[in-house]
Amino acid sequence: MLAKYVARRFLASTVVVLGVTAITLALMKTTSGSYVPGIDLNPALRPEDIARLRAQLGLDEPPQVWYATWLWNALHGDFGHSMIDGSTVTSHILDRLPNTIELTATAIVIGVVLAIPLGVIGALRRGSKTDHSLTVVSVAGFAVPQFWMGLMLILIFSVTLEQHGLPWLPSSGAFSAYNGGDVFDRLEHLILPATVLSFFYTSTWSRFIRSSMLEVLSQDYIRTARAKGMSERRVVYLHGLRNALIPLITLIGLELPGLVSGGLVVEVVFGWPGIGKLAFERALQYDYTTVMGVTFFATLLVVAGNLLADLLYGVLDPRIRYG
Amino acid sequence: MIGPSRVAELDIPAAGVETGVARPAQSYWNESWERLRENRLGVAAGVLLVVLALIAVMAPILSAVLTHFQPQTIDLDSTFARPGVGGHILGADELGRDTLTRLIWGARVSLGVAFLTVAMSLTVGTAVGMVAGYYGGWIDDVLMRFVDMVLAIPAIFLFILMSILIRPNAITLAAIVASVGWGSVARLVRGEVLSVKQRDFILATRSIGAKDSRLMLRHLLPNVLPVLIVAASLGVGQIILVEAALDFLGLGIQPPTPSWGNMLTNAQSYFFRSGWLVALPGITIFLTVLASNLFGNAVRDAFDPRLKSH
Amino acid sequence: MTQPLLEVHELRTVFSTKEGVVRAVDGVSFELHAGETLGIVGESGCGKSVTALSIMRLQRPGRIVGGKVTFKGQDLTRLSEYEMREIRGKEIAMIFQDPMTSLNPVYRVGWQVAEPTQLHNGWDAKRALSGAVSMLGRVGIPGAAARARDYPHQFSGGMRQRAMIAMGLTTTPQVLIADEPTTALDVTIQAQILDLLRDVNREFGTATILITHNLGVVAGMCQRLIVMYAGKIVEAGPTTDVFANPKHPYTWSLLRSIPRLDAERHEPLKPIEGFPPSLVDLPQGCSFHPRCVFRLEKCSRDVPALLQVGETQRAACWVTQSGTELKGA
Repeated sequence: MLAKYVARRFLASTVVVLGVTAITLALMKTTSGSYVPGIDLNPALRPEDIARLRAQLGLDEPPQVWYATWLWNALHGDFGHSMIDGSTVTSHILDRLPNTIELTATAIVIGVVLAIPLGVIGALRRGSKTDHSLTVVSVAGFAVPQFWMGLMLILIFSVTLEQHGLPWLPSSGAFSAYNGGDVFDRLEHLILPATVLSFFYTSTWSRFIRSSMLEVLSQDYIRTARAKGMSERRVVYLHGLRNALIPLITLIGLELPGLVSGGLVVEVVFGWPGIGKLAFERALQYDYTTVMGVTFFATLLVVAGNLLADLLYGVLDPRIRYG
Repeated sequence: MIGPSRVAELDIPAAGVETGVARPAQSYWNESWERLRENRLGVAAGVLLVVLALIAVMAPILSAVLTHFQPQTIDLDSTFARPGVGGHILGADELGRDTLTRLIWGARVSLGVAFLTVAMSLTVGTAVGMVAGYYGGWIDDVLMRFVDMVLAIPAIFLFILMSILIRPNAITLAAIVASVGWGSVARLVRGEVLSVKQRDFILATRSIGAKDSRLMLRHLLPNVLPVLIVAASLGVGQIILVEAALDFLGLGIQPPTPSWGNMLTNAQSYFFRSGWLVALPGITIFLTVLASNLFGNAVRDAFDPRLKSH
Repeated sequence: MTQPLLEVHELRTVFSTKEGVVRAVDGVSFELHAGETLGIVGESGCGKSVTALSIMRLQRPGRIVGGKVTFKGQDLTRLSEYEMREIRGKEIAMIFQDPMTSLNPVYRVGWQVAEPTQLHNGWDAKRALSGAVSMLGRVGIPGAAARARDYPHQFSGGMRQRAMIAMGLTTTPQVLIADEPTTALDVTIQAQILDLLRDVNREFGTATILITHNLGVVAGMCQRLIVMYAGKIVEAGPTTDVFANPKHPYTWSLLRSIPRLDAERHEPLKPIEGFPPSLVDLPQGCSFHPRCVFRLEKCSRDVPALLQVGETQRAACWVTQSGTELKGA
């Protein structure tokens, strides 16, 4: 039963991936006659380089051949070469990916760890001042622009603190070369960007847990649990929360695909050397091939992430597993 | 949830039901509107949005009458002026341009692009969703697979990619942002169409030989409208944030045209000179998005109280 | 007359709503003796479920505002929550109407049935589970050991209800309260569950309170019954006597309204006229009088008390208390 479910989802995902490749490449093709607009105008490239690149990228070949070559390469993990310095996209990805994962995974973990208790408190103390305050903070949290929050945090915790001679938090990079780059150093650098990134998650998810808990606590099986004479704490946490968390898993699953791309703005603001910042930097240099390669890679992760989320859900909800 | 909006067309005399209740029966739209009006917070947010829109529209007038500055006038004697100095109510930026004026003109960009984006998303998304939901079969499969693909590409990467391929102005920027949004709308509309499609009045209309397009436009669309309105109201805030982020990154509206986002592009260099310059554009974005979200929540609560989370 | 196991005296439970205070249980008194089966009958909203929930102190958001519930010498309404938990699920067990929604969907059935003995008897997981499996077998679930590993949605409706009954019995409670145990089930399964409840009562000696709106269910199961209307008891007595000779017009009308197989085909059904009253806005005097074919002038002014009428029955009715027999077309 589970195997069939997995197989179906996998098939659908493959179709989507293939389609995405077609879209991205069609996008490039249709915006101009040649594959990469401006390739002939980039002043950094000498005529010989241009000719070499055109040959290498197969620009003058018919589209099907060129698409097939690209796809073939991609399947082997070759996502193309940079137009600027010829370095492989794959090497950049391998270089930067761990940093991005470090940042977004931390943010998601912080988000979950904070959201669950906040949501449960909101549900148990429904209507109280605490609940209202939490809701207000959540609602406000949706409206804050991430990049601005990052800037403000830097202003407060980096610049202003330093100006007043207080210990301050670093505002850029993932670690300091001269500090040795040890765990504490990395953690120090992680604090501000992870806070910004997790803020949105915490706001959204705490509200969600709250409404999920409220709904669960009004269910008949909670009444049964109470009738069995157990402590209210056991009712809420063992019988209630377990059910309330199921939909949260779906939500978190929906975020997994964003693991790679979601932190782009934060990475740029904090100079965090991740995939998002890579794409951004290269975009400014009109290094189309790198941007495209990174985009495709990110899309692959999205599709894989969706698949993973579907599987997780299947595992956690026995009604799907054995249904 | 949705009242029989077009039954009158088929000339079926309305079957009155004796309810014995004092309140007169109202149409779904009136009821929703009533509910919306009762939500004081939502109304306040809505009013704020209207005021912002007015400010945006009247930008030239406000420049002349209120602030006495133009958004792009450079004045190197007033660089980083604090609020209140030299006639600059909210201070000036690194080129001496008045902040308040630029914020006012920036509203044009943020609200204008947001409006355009919503319009484009809704139009394309509704069309695709309706066709997919109505016809079903392979058309539905193909269209929805396509939507899956578009939604699979991480939005921000798609935006970056498209921004460097197409020189962004307000219209193309709206199109870029809408290129992701329409997918969700399409799915939403398709879902609604699928559920409405089953209802009897559709069968009845069909049986008298109505054409597909007529059916879709005059019968399905009005029933799908409430869901669209809710989705649009809830999504506006996000769109404003996305657009501001793109401007901030330098991939959206380019300077010297002021937008709340691009006023912060060089914020890192303002830190030591003027904290105001970093704070003000962000606060403006925050308030606008907050108002949109609150209004959106109010609209959702008014049009579909079942979704309300207490 | 032996001491009753459970004694409810003038119990009052109210709910505060926007429209006003709802007196869901308005002065209810009855006794339950060890090993007997008592039926509580009435329409939806008459207060029978709330009465049961109040005994268990599960009446929230309602509030118990008066009366006593005496069980083994203690007044349950006065116990602390902590003390009450010792009784709930251990001495007094309750099973509910819809077994699908009453079982937790994410835990295995065996685990849920085993939970009470772990909580109350202090059994370890293994012992509790084997106890649960054996109980599941005794309530008639075939292959209990394997089924215990299943989840609720894998059980059929009847089996789920059996599992719920098993869940209530593992701690060998003295009282079992069954709130509409068969209402959500198919008619054929209903009979099986009722048989099971009867067997349980015989085998375990558990006193059972059966709450239902279905007179047929009561007839087969309960030795005594109470009829409730608008929060009050209107009639009480041995089942056979009440059925043969109802002493309250409501009971009388209910019995007449049941469609009978041996009636003439052209005979129209005889429903009770009117609607149950709003509990926020009860009629003055006897709550049933607007719908009563026997009503007197007195009935619209004064509230009748529940008094002895006839040898074995009690009824709250001015008409029958004055000696009139209920007969009529």
